[in-house]
Amino acid sequence: MSQSLRPYLQCVRSSLTAALSLSNFASQASERHNVPEIEAQSSPEVLLNPLTVSRNENEKVFIEPSINSVRISIKIKQADEIEHILVHKFTRFLTQRAESFFILRRKPIKGYDISFLITNFHTEEMLKHKLVDFIIQFMEEVDKEISEMKLFLNARARFVAESFLTPFD
Amino acid sequence: MATLNWRTINIDALDPDSPANFDLSTLTPDVASASTADVQSLAGQIRQLLRAGDNEGALQGALENPPYGADERGKDIHLATVIEILQSIRQSEMSPILSRIYSAPGGTEALDVLMKYIYKGMAQSNTANTAKTMTPQATGFSQIHARGGGEGGGQAMSVLLSWHEKLVEIAGPGCIVRVMTDRRTV
Repeated sequence: MSQSLRPYLQCVRSSLTAALSLSNFASQASERHNVPEIEAQSSPEVLLNPLTVSRNENEKVFIEPSINSVRISIKIKQADEIEHILVHKFTRFLTQRAESFFILRRKPIKGYDISFLITNFHTEEMLKHKLVDFIIQFMEEVDKEISEMKLFLNARARFVAESFLTPFD
Repeated sequence: MATLNWRTINIDALDPDSPANFDLSTLTPDVASASTADVQSLAGQIRQLLRAGDNEGALQGALENPPYGADERGKDIHLATVIEILQSIRQSEMSPILSRIYSAPGGTEALDVLMKYIYKGMAQSNTANTAKTMTPQATGFSQIHARGGGEGGGQAMSVLLSWHEKLVEIAGPGCIVRVMTDRRTV
């Protein structure tokens, strides 16, 4: 793991651990409803101050806590256009299967690549430290995945170009 | 009026009794208002301490008087002062300074303020230059090209990240919870 990645992930880990203190909270706007307050934005007093953790301007995590839900948005490193396309395809693949991931949000919030929404029901039926571990592991894996895909794509492009140009040799 | 799409009107916002119009000022503790000039003079004093080599005194002075009541400009000035102090302290001195502040009277409050500034520092410098330059991939035969463009502001961030790590070690995760819940923002 690179030198500056470890403190970054450590910072995200402690911020998430602190933010994931959720309790059940029924909607104040309509009776017998129970909605994530961070999404509904219907009562300002239950929303807490958002936190940003950033490693540099292209890699950051935005944590928006509230009384019964936390929204975590991740901006994945994109050094060039190919990585930008790969990240887009990759996050699109995941968000289309959002039900299987339980905490994945279908649409990232503006300015970020992928968002998670953790509610008190998730923390009740899953272990909190495992949820934090999942997010951290996702962040570790996604960088690796993207650079692997980029290498693979370049190798493939070179091979295709070579075999295309052989007859003209 | 007939052209207005009434289905899109948020009626909660118009109802004074609805939770959407909760008066947040009742949750905010009273803060002494500070003018930009006050913040600036404090910044001058702190810079003098910094120049004299008293990093710890400068940090303590900056954390004891956070300008909660100042406007955006005053808060930005104080943020810049705190970040300047944090950057001037060496990595090996962080933990001893933090534990000395922690054990002093009013130490936990000072460290909460420091945590607020660390988060604000990380949030602020990426809004400063959002004008992103996406470089097209260097096509060619070398795949070992420098990964430029992705490390902007990385140096300042890594200082804040290591401060954050040391601070959580000493003040605990409760410090982060207090940053989230405190309505007095820096």
